[in-house]
Amino acid sequence: MQNDVVYLDHAATTPLDERVLEAMLPHLGGAPDGRPRGNPSSLHSAGAAAREAVEEARASVARLVGANEPGEILFTAGGTESDNLAVLGLAASDPSRKHVVISAVEHPAVREAAGHLEATGYEVTRIGVDAGGLVSPARFAGTLRPDTALAAVMWANNEVGTVQPIEEIAELCREAGVPLHVDAVQAAGRLPIDVSRVPVSTLALSAHKLHGPQGVGALYVRGGVELEPVLFGGGQERGLRSGTENVAGIVGLGAASRLAFEELEERTRHEEALREALISGATGLPGVRLNGHREKRLSNNIHVSVEGVEAESLVLFLDALGYAVGSGSACASRGTPAGHKASPVLLAMGRTQEEAISSVRITVGKDTTRAGIDGFLEAFAAAVSQLRELSPLYTS
Amino acid sequence: MVYKPQVMEHLVRPRNVGELDAPGGVGESGDAACGDVARFTVGIEANRLEEVRYKVYGCAACIAAGSALSELVRDTHLLEAARVSKADLENSLGGPLPEGKEHALTLVLDALHKALEDHWNRQAGEMLVEGYDGGPDGGTNGRMKSVVVATSGGVDSAVTALLLKEAGYDAACVTFRLHDGERGSRSCCSPDTVLFARDTAHRMGLPHFTLDLKDLFDRRVMKDFVGSYAAGRTPNPCVSCNAHVKFHAASFLADRLGFDHVATGHYARVVEEPGGVTMARPTDAAKDQTYVLWPVPKELLSRTIFPLGEYRKEEVRRIAEEKGLAVAYTPESQDICFIPDGNYRGFVRKKIAAEPGEIIDTGGRTLGRHAGVVDFTVGQRRGIGVSAPTPLYVTEVRPAQKQVVVGRREDLEVSEVRVGDLNWFLDYGEADSVQVRYNSPSVTCEVEDSGGGEVRARLAEPVVGVAPGQSAVFYKGDRVVGGGVVRRDG
Repeated sequence: MQNDVVYLDHAATTPLDERVLEAMLPHLGGAPDGRPRGNPSSLHSAGAAAREAVEEARASVARLVGANEPGEILFTAGGTESDNLAVLGLAASDPSRKHVVISAVEHPAVREAAGHLEATGYEVTRIGVDAGGLVSPARFAGTLRPDTALAAVMWANNEVGTVQPIEEIAELCREAGVPLHVDAVQAAGRLPIDVSRVPVSTLALSAHKLHGPQGVGALYVRGGVELEPVLFGGGQERGLRSGTENVAGIVGLGAASRLAFEELEERTRHEEALREALISGATGLPGVRLNGHREKRLSNNIHVSVEGVEAESLVLFLDALGYAVGSGSACASRGTPAGHKASPVLLAMGRTQEEAISSVRITVGKDTTRAGIDGFLEAFAAAVSQLRELSPLYTS
Repeated sequence: MVYKPQVMEHLVRPRNVGELDAPGGVGESGDAACGDVARFTVGIEANRLEEVRYKVYGCAACIAAGSALSELVRDTHLLEAARVSKADLENSLGGPLPEGKEHALTLVLDALHKALEDHWNRQAGEMLVEGYDGGPDGGTNGRMKSVVVATSGGVDSAVTALLLKEAGYDAACVTFRLHDGERGSRSCCSPDTVLFARDTAHRMGLPHFTLDLKDLFDRRVMKDFVGSYAAGRTPNPCVSCNAHVKFHAASFLADRLGFDHVATGHYARVVEEPGGVTMARPTDAAKDQTYVLWPVPKELLSRTIFPLGEYRKEEVRRIAEEKGLAVAYTPESQDICFIPDGNYRGFVRKKIAAEPGEIIDTGGRTLGRHAGVVDFTVGQRRGIGVSAPTPLYVTEVRPAQKQVVVGRREDLEVSEVRVGDLNWFLDYGEADSVQVRYNSPSVTCEVEDSGGGEVRARLAEPVVGVAPGQSAVFYKGDRVVGGGVVRRDG
């Protein structure tokens, strides 16, 4: 039964690419020459081989984001760690600055890290977004101050897929002398990211959103940007991320980055065609409304509010029919015993509480087929109709 | 979070979905902004739940719980349907729901119970608004040792239900919605006394019903409370409730269910006397509630059981603890139930405009001004706002003249009390003492009929602070002979 599932939740995680797995296996004990696993810090040949593999991966990630030097890439345990290291590390690098700017639609990894700074005495400005989820560069510029330690605006939103005007925002930060952190976890591999053109200070990405393994990520840190570590130990990763490297994971991230770089255009074109079919099919049903920006959105994301239907029941109903999609409030609903906590992203975009808890996210991937989308749209219509028949709030 | 297969089965193939065209009751619980709404419609014939339909907007757990509940209660007797507990529902869904999803059980049960509540309301029509004294199918019809217990979510009424159940009674609990001041009664996400009382009944394995008596309570208790202050009397809302609301409503439900008895958690006893059934003081003198129970009509008293009359409060708490009832730890309720902050004057002031007037002494001399007679009751010493060498007491309130009369303590002494609005269990001539205040001893007296539906009680010794509007309750030893309302002198 699991084989029949059409997976449409690529924003949550992506299937591991077989080519990535191939690349990783030698580092999981499957080396064809029987060579022992090495620690990149060791002097012997096994250590050197591991070191070499890590450096090759670093070069691939550097190429994906357009970094000048592979040394600008740090490996971490994932997007959340990269975001935390950037936000906390940039803030700590100049203790005289006590102001932080973030957008109102940041991923919890940035939002909560900024909230932590707030609890320790920082002032945090949260810039609102318009109905499409966009940050206005003009409003953003107005929030930057001489004592602003850092700003953080994501490249593309993980829930509604809105792509921010990050070039303009980065330029404003450069002019104001404020370091900018960009969460590119959803954007990497979908949008042409080029830090040689866009003056960000730090940029986070994660392997498992790129058909790589879970539990590994990277942080781009522009040469010359000062960053304080948050982990202390053996001084790996230029002292900014101590701890023995997750070699197999890093190799997986490297392979995934190389493939994403090479196949970026092809993947995007494929995903966009499916996205358009999904948007017209889903919003063709009465009372189904697209959330996020119509044009400035990720190639693989559709996010809709379905009037009269609660998200979790729709997601599980679709699951029972063989389609895996994301709940608009998947993270938010965890651990809230009484009632739902609506997504702060949707509320920031001016959606009502009801719309927020009635929303689902459908995200395609490079291997999603047109037949899968057609089947999904049929199942979606059936699920929505049956749940609305059940709903005391919906009258057609 | 992983749901059991039973939950998924109910989600994909929900039973009894929809709404009845001509329902006998409709109930809704939840709130769209909270993310969950459940609605039940029921069709009831001869106390059987013939038809049940439900709708749910909410998570998979809510949809599945609604579906499972509709199956459990469909085509059952109301008493069985009203007994279905959260645990029963959870079992029918294959076991505990994932953490954070337990509220689904509460939500759908509440919607069903509100539909049953609506059914009783439709049955009651004007009966419960005007006051119920035995309806067309009133009286008992054969269920021996059966009792409707009025439960409030507190320890006394819960133990009452438990004791009766253990004594072999067929017991059903009922909780009354009396006003909107109850905890959480307007919000779906906060504790609610009705939910708590229901849960307590279900944990004892007893059916639970809810009756909406807000209109009746407003007419017979709250308006009287406010009106009494305006008229310069000192009201006792518990007395009004016992006179018109609580016992009548419990009897109404008992009659609909074909049950013999009604019971409450009051501390009092019902005893058979040669002259008929009467009330008697309880074992626990400190908890004696006979002073507020005098207006219960005799025909209702004759079917009433007060099990706690034989117990002391400490024993009641111990029983609750031993049986693991959560109510064992609920605080003692002291204040008037619809004024939880205890600020009676503030409450009354919101309902009626105060008119300023004069404060005079017993000789008629003006001593000062007041902002409104509603701020004063006979016997009051604090907050009069006039200084004097000896303490001043309010001795009389004259709303028509907007006057408040103050005097010395001795001026409050009376040796004779006029009492009207009488309710007798025994012949008035049997009375040997009268109690004129809550928690104060009764005073030896002689009672004589003064005509016009009033009696005059001559007190063996003068008492202080007898305010018009208060109850005067007559006793013969520990027997309650009857009671009434103190009239204004002259």
